[in-house]
Amino acid sequence: MPTILIVEDNKNQRLLYQEELQREGYTTVMAFDGKDALEKVREEPPDLIILDINMPRMDGIETMGKILSQNKQIPIIINTAYSSYQNSFMTWAADAYVVKSSDLSELKNKIKKILTDRPKDF
Amino acid sequence: MTHKPLQHNQCKAIDDLRNLLHRSQGMVLDEDLTKQLDHLCRSLESEIKRSNYPEGGFSHDPEIGWKLKNFSKQKNRERRQNDNIMDVIEAGLCLLDKNLKIIWANKTISDWLDLKDSPLGRNCKDIFHCKEAEIDNCQALKVFKGGESHVLETWITTKAKKRLCVQRFAIPVTNKKGTIENVLVHIEDVTESDKSLHWLFLLQKLGEKMQGTLHLDTLLHLVLTCVTTGHAFGFNRAMLFLINKEENVIRGKLAVGPSTREEATRIWGEISNKYHSLEEILDALEYNSNFDNSYSLMTQQMKYTLTETDEIIVTCAREKKAIIVADAAHDPRLTEEFRNAIGVNKFVCVPLIVRNESIGVIVADNVYTEVPITEDLVNVLTMFANQAALAIENAETCKRLEDKVTQLTTTQQRLIRAEKFAAIGSIVSYIAHEIRNPLVTIGGFTRSLSRFHFEDAKIKTNLDIILDEVVRLENILNNIANFSKPSIPKKATCQVCEIVKNICSLMENYFKERNINFSMEFEPSIPPILAVSSQITQVLFNTLMNAVESMPDGGDLSIRIKLIDKTIKIDIMDTGAGMKKEELQNIFEPFYTTKLEGSGVGLVISRKIIEEHGGKVSVKSKCGRGTTLSLFLPIQ
Repeated sequence: MPTILIVEDNKNQRLLYQEELQREGYTTVMAFDGKDALEKVREEPPDLIILDINMPRMDGIETMGKILSQNKQIPIIINTAYSSYQNSFMTWAADAYVVKSSDLSELKNKIKKILTDRPKDF
Repeated sequence: MTHKPLQHNQCKAIDDLRNLLHRSQGMVLDEDLTKQLDHLCRSLESEIKRSNYPEGGFSHDPEIGWKLKNFSKQKNRERRQNDNIMDVIEAGLCLLDKNLKIIWANKTISDWLDLKDSPLGRNCKDIFHCKEAEIDNCQALKVFKGGESHVLETWITTKAKKRLCVQRFAIPVTNKKGTIENVLVHIEDVTESDKSLHWLFLLQKLGEKMQGTLHLDTLLHLVLTCVTTGHAFGFNRAMLFLINKEENVIRGKLAVGPSTREEATRIWGEISNKYHSLEEILDALEYNSNFDNSYSLMTQQMKYTLTETDEIIVTCAREKKAIIVADAAHDPRLTEEFRNAIGVNKFVCVPLIVRNESIGVIVADNVYTEVPITEDLVNVLTMFANQAALAIENAETCKRLEDKVTQLTTTQQRLIRAEKFAAIGSIVSYIAHEIRNPLVTIGGFTRSLSRFHFEDAKIKTNLDIILDEVVRLENILNNIANFSKPSIPKKATCQVCEIVKNICSLMENYFKERNINFSMEFEPSIPPILAVSSQITQVLFNTLMNAVESMPDGGDLSIRIKLIDKTIKIDIMDTGAGMKKEELQNIFEPFYTTKLEGSGVGLVISRKIIEEHGGKVSVKSKCGRGTTLSLFLPIQ
C-alpha cells in the first residue's frame, strides 16, 4: 500500500487525515512541521506528501523546495486553508493544490489520481 | 428868515412819502426797497436842511415834484419786476412777522399748497398744516430767537394734483441793526432727488442682501423676489435665464410670479397682510419658496442656443443692453415661440453683466396690472441687474469651490476606506483562515462519525445538522477569502421559500432573545429557481442579521416573498434605526460599516451573490423608521 506523509502542525487535523487516509487503505506517516518532514523523507521516502503551508519553524513552501531538491520523484499535494497561495508561482511546482475543507473527498480524489497516474517503477 | 415855512412844506412832503410807504407796507415784497425808500427820504431831508433853497414849498419846486413822480414810477416798476421774478421762481417763499403771520407770499406757495384764498394775514401753521409736534418745535420761532432752522421734509399735493416731496426751512431777515425782524420760509421741491435717493437706498439694501447669500438657488429666488415685490421694483412676474458656456445655451432657471390673475390677487393680498417691509419679505424668503407653479415650470423648460440670433433673450445677452418690448405682437425681434411662451404684450429684458460679459438675462412684465414700464425704472433695474450678476457669479464660484471640496472629501474618505479595507481585509483573512482549520477538523470528524451506524436515529440527524452548519460556515469563509474573485457557483434547483423557512427556524430562538416579532408571508405560487442554496442562505443570513442588529431594543421583522414578472422579490423589512442618505449610499462599499463589530463585507458579498444569480438588491430606508431590503431573483 502506498505510504503517504502528512505534514501538518495541527494535531487534531493530523489525526483526522491519519484516520481518513488509513480508512482508504493508505499507510500514513506524520510530520508536525517542515523540519520534521525533511527528516521523515530522508529516513524513508513516501509515495506522496500532503503539505500544509502555514507552519512554525519552516513553512510548506520552503519545505517543498528542500524536498524537491533532494527528490523530484515524490508527488506533493499542497493542502492549505489559504486559497491565495494558489496564485503564487512557488506552489506551481506542487502536483496539486487543495484548499482545506471538512469534506476530504477532493483531497482523496487528488491522491488517488496522482498515485494512479505516476510511473509504475516504484 | 423864510426858512421855517419852507422847511415845514418840505417836511410835509416827506411825511406824505412816509405815509405812502407805510400804507404800502405788507404789499411791498422787498424790504430792502422799503428801506431804500426810507433812506432816500432821510437823505432828502438832510439835503434840504443843508442847502439854502429859495423860498417856496417843496411841492412847489418842479424839479423835486418830477423826481418824486419818477421815483414812485420806478418803485412800482421794480415791485412788478420783483413780483414776476418771485412768482416764476421754482420755490415757495413767504415772509413772516414776529407773530408768525404771513405778510408776503409768492404765487408758487399758493399753487403748491393748493390755497384757495390769499395767505396774507394768516398764521403760517394754518397753511402748512403743521402737526402738533411741529408747532411745539416751530422752525420760524426758533429762527426768530436766533436759532438755526433744520430742514423739514413733507409730501404735498399741488393744485395741479401732483405729488411733490418738499423741503422747508426758515431764513432770518435782519434789519440794519442786525435784529431779526422777519423770517422767510423757503420751500423746495426735492421729489426727483428724493426718488433717486430712494432708489439708491433700495439698491444698497438689495445689494447687501444679495451679498449675504452664497447659495445659488436662494440667491436666484432673492433676485427675482426683489424684481417682483411691490416694495422694490414691483413687476408682476419675472424670469431669470443663465448662460451655460460649456453647453453654449441660455437656459431658464427660475421664475417668480403668479400663474393666473386669480392667483395674483390671492398672493398679493396674502403678502400685503403678512409682510410690511422689504426686509420682512426677503427674510421670510427661504420659508415660502414654491417654484412648482406652471409659470416657473414653463421657464425651466426654456432653452436657447447662443447662436440663435433671432431670439430676444440671446440678443439681450449678446448686446448687453436692456430691451423694452412695447408691442410684442408686432415686434420683429421676437420669435413666435417666445411670444407665445411669455404671453404678454409689454415686457423688458435686462442683461446680467459681470466684467463686461453677460451671464444671463432677467425678463420682467406687468401682465396683470398692465402698469407701463418706464425707462427710469428700467435704468434702475439695469443697475440692480449688475449687482445681481455679481452676486450670482460669486455664488456660482462658491458652488464650484464647494463641489471641489466635496470631491476632495469624497476622495479622502475613499482613501481612508481603502486603508480600512486593507487593514480589515488582512484581519478578516487572518481570522477566516484561523477558523477554517478547526472547522476542517470538526467537519471532518463529524463526517467520519456519521458513517457509523447509530441505534438512536437522533444522533445521525444531529450529526447531519453539525455537518450542514460546518459546510455553511466554510462557504462563508470561502466567500470572504475569495471576495475579490468570487468562485463560479454550482447552481441547483431550489425553492427560495424553503431556504427562508429553514434559516428562520434556525434563527427563531435568536429572534426571541432579542424581542423581535418575526413574520413570514409567501405567495403560494413561487416557483423553484436555479441557485446556489448555500449562497442564498448566506445572503438571507447576512440581511436578517443586519435587520436584527438595527433593532437593539426589539421590533418587527418580516419577510415577504412575491412573484413579479418572472422575478422573485424577497422583501426583508425591519422597524429599526434606519439609515441616513449618506449611509445608504455607502452600504454597498466594501468594508463600510456603522456597526462596532462587523467587517462591512456582508452586504457587498450579498450583492455579489445576488448579481451572480442575475438578480439585484435594492434598499429603502428612513432614518428612525426602519429599512426594507429587497432581493430580486429572476426565475430563469
